Amino acid sequence: MANTLSFSSETMKQYEWLLTRYPTRRAVLLPTLRLAESEFGELGVPEMRFVADLMEIPPAFVFGVVTFYTHYRRAGTGKYNIQVCSTLSCALRGSEDVVSRITERLGIGPGETTPCGQFSLSKVECLGSCDTAPMLQCNDDYHEDLTLEDVDQLIEQLRAEADGGQNG
Amino acid sequence: MANNPTNDSAVSMTKWQLNGQEVENHAGMTIMEAAKEHGIEIPCFCYHPGLSIAGNCRICMVESNRSHKPVISCSERIAEGLEIETDSEVAVDARNSVMEFQLINHPLDCPVCDKSGECVLQDHSYAHGPDRSRFVEDKNIRHTKELGPDISIWGNRCIVCTRCVRFCDEISGTSELCIVERGDRSVVDVFPEIPIDNQLAGNTVDICPVGALISHDFKYEARVWNMDRIDSVCGGCSRGCNIEVETLDGFVKRLIPRENLDVNDWWMCDEGRYGWRHLYADDRITQATRDGAEQTDSAATDALEELLSESGPVAFLIDPFLTCEELHLVQGLAASRPGSKVGGWLPADGTAASFPSGFQISAAKYPNRSGAEQVFGDQVFGDDAKQLQKSLLSNGFDTVIAFCGGHQSTGPGDSWTQALANTATRIVFSVMNGPWLEGASLVLPATAPIEKEGTWINEDGRLQRTRSCWNPGTDPFAVELVRLQALQHALGLRGRSLSAAGVFRELAAANTAFSGHNHSDLGSPGLLLSERPAAVASDGGTE
Repeated sequence: MANTLSFSSETMKQYEWLLTRYPTRRAVLLPTLRLAESEFGELGVPEMRFVADLMEIPPAFVFGVVTFYTHYRRAGTGKYNIQVCSTLSCALRGSEDVVSRITERLGIGPGETTPCGQFSLSKVECLGSCDTAPMLQCNDDYHEDLTLEDVDQLIEQLRAEADGGQNG
Repeated sequence: MANNPTNDSAVSMTKWQLNGQEVENHAGMTIMEAAKEHGIEIPCFCYHPGLSIAGNCRICMVESNRSHKPVISCSERIAEGLEIETDSEVAVDARNSVMEFQLINHPLDCPVCDKSGECVLQDHSYAHGPDRSRFVEDKNIRHTKELGPDISIWGNRCIVCTRCVRFCDEISGTSELCIVERGDRSVVDVFPEIPIDNQLAGNTVDICPVGALISHDFKYEARVWNMDRIDSVCGGCSRGCNIEVETLDGFVKRLIPRENLDVNDWWMCDEGRYGWRHLYADDRITQATRDGAEQTDSAATDALEELLSESGPVAFLIDPFLTCEELHLVQGLAASRPGSKVGGWLPADGTAASFPSGFQISAAKYPNRSGAEQVFGDQVFGDDAKQLQKSLLSNGFDTVIAFCGGHQSTGPGDSWTQALANTATRIVFSVMNGPWLEGASLVLPATAPIEKEGTWINEDGRLQRTRSCWNPGTDPFAVELVRLQALQHALGLRGRSLSAAGVFRELAAANTAFSGHNHSDLGSPGLLLSERPAAVASDGGTE
């Protein structure tokens, strides 16, 4: 499998710095996957293969690590990855309603991605923001103290952004 | 490799208590291995003596005086004053609970599972498991797919012990396997488009404690409890890996490795493992023919006698698959015909391979070159063979007896085929049909390596017993051991026919290299030819 991916020189510098910060090469895998994720946008088969080759560790090991965690963006994840916290505090404050509202608006259930590839929805365990329940995480941003109106507004905003991005 | 110290007398001893009894073991041993030395088998799934310790299955938990919770005996080590209970209420309860968890998602498909009958989960479920499930939710579904050309995974059966993953990391060094996903969805998988396709891959199926990894070669072939098992030795290369041959109604179904720490540890290569189909191939020779006409088996032996009784010096072409016993019989015949010559042919070299665990595949694709050299001298495949070929080409002999056996015989090669064709009376023992049989006066069926009864000497000089996978009385033809003795009898060279052990006794008496050895003392791991068995009465044997 010819791999045409490569890290930019800036990312490569970060990777080399990481190597000096951990006791073993395998320990550097988690942060390196983060670098690959931000560099390539997602961790699909070519990206995992690239990281394995770069780090000289077995591809199967990388595959096992990526699939173990839920917080890496696997191939096929939408441009906006909406993760709704559904652990205790959020559940008591109505996270189920948040999920249903998103499902209603986007037409996808938890674990699914819209056919246009813009949105993914999942229910996740505690995101550590119990004081502002219910909450969700969209890509790297937290949206807290949600009401259903907030949810509608967020989706409208993301849709507008997505359309703007496509047209522009 | 196993993390325990070897039985080195320099290692100090540790006193501890096992089920209320004061016992002693080498310091640093794990509780599980130490208990085994005192006859107590603690159940395990993920533990394997040839692999690193994972400690993930938890079935081996025992009660300890040093912990308020049960400890896992595969990784906890013995210590002075340690008190371990393997069958107390706490230990039994822990095991039963683990067993209940293991069975939560396991399908009840034993009736169609190839592992059934040799499944560790089945055994432990019977001994430690609940007789019903309290789990009322839906069982989860995991993938069933091909992981490589010879191996598939039945994900629902997987208990995620990681034996196969560790095997690929530590023994074959190829690291194709991993555990994907997490929790109850975790299952063995390969990286997309990198299948498990290494030379030792078949071992992962053997060490799978359940029926999750399935060999395509053996899938739905037989129920394991119906098969006969015989301890044998692989003839695929000159390593001489110890194997078990499993047969159903006299037909080979599967070869699996047999533990021998001096040769192959617990493993064998796939080339040896799957290299038996030719036994039932269409071009296998099972019928004797004289000048092209089919002969009954006894008529063939008579013809052999007739051709030899009138002959002068005979040329013998031996192969490196013959057992030491067969070679001894050939030597007896050669000695009775003054002027006879013996030379041997060798099949072409394959590719050698060695693995991180120390396991090796030899480039030399024959099991008993060393044995032939002990019987006929160092040059039997060297100068002797060259001279023999030269004299055959210059019509130096009227009669030749050639042995063209082998595991997947391609025959002795073009130059020998040409040399043989020059001789008027040509008697050929052959496993497979091929050009070396064209125009032969007498063609006799020969046994392939796992059909032979006798001994081989591997490339390390280890004398090992190989046993025939044929059930007594079902031989489709007289094996060489029988036919050569019948011939010696007819020629007046022998009083009575003996078993392989009997012929070996003759060999040990006649050849100083073998003296002191006998079949029963070789035991299952065999002995180096250079080391003599301890002096014991030879009547009982040590097996």
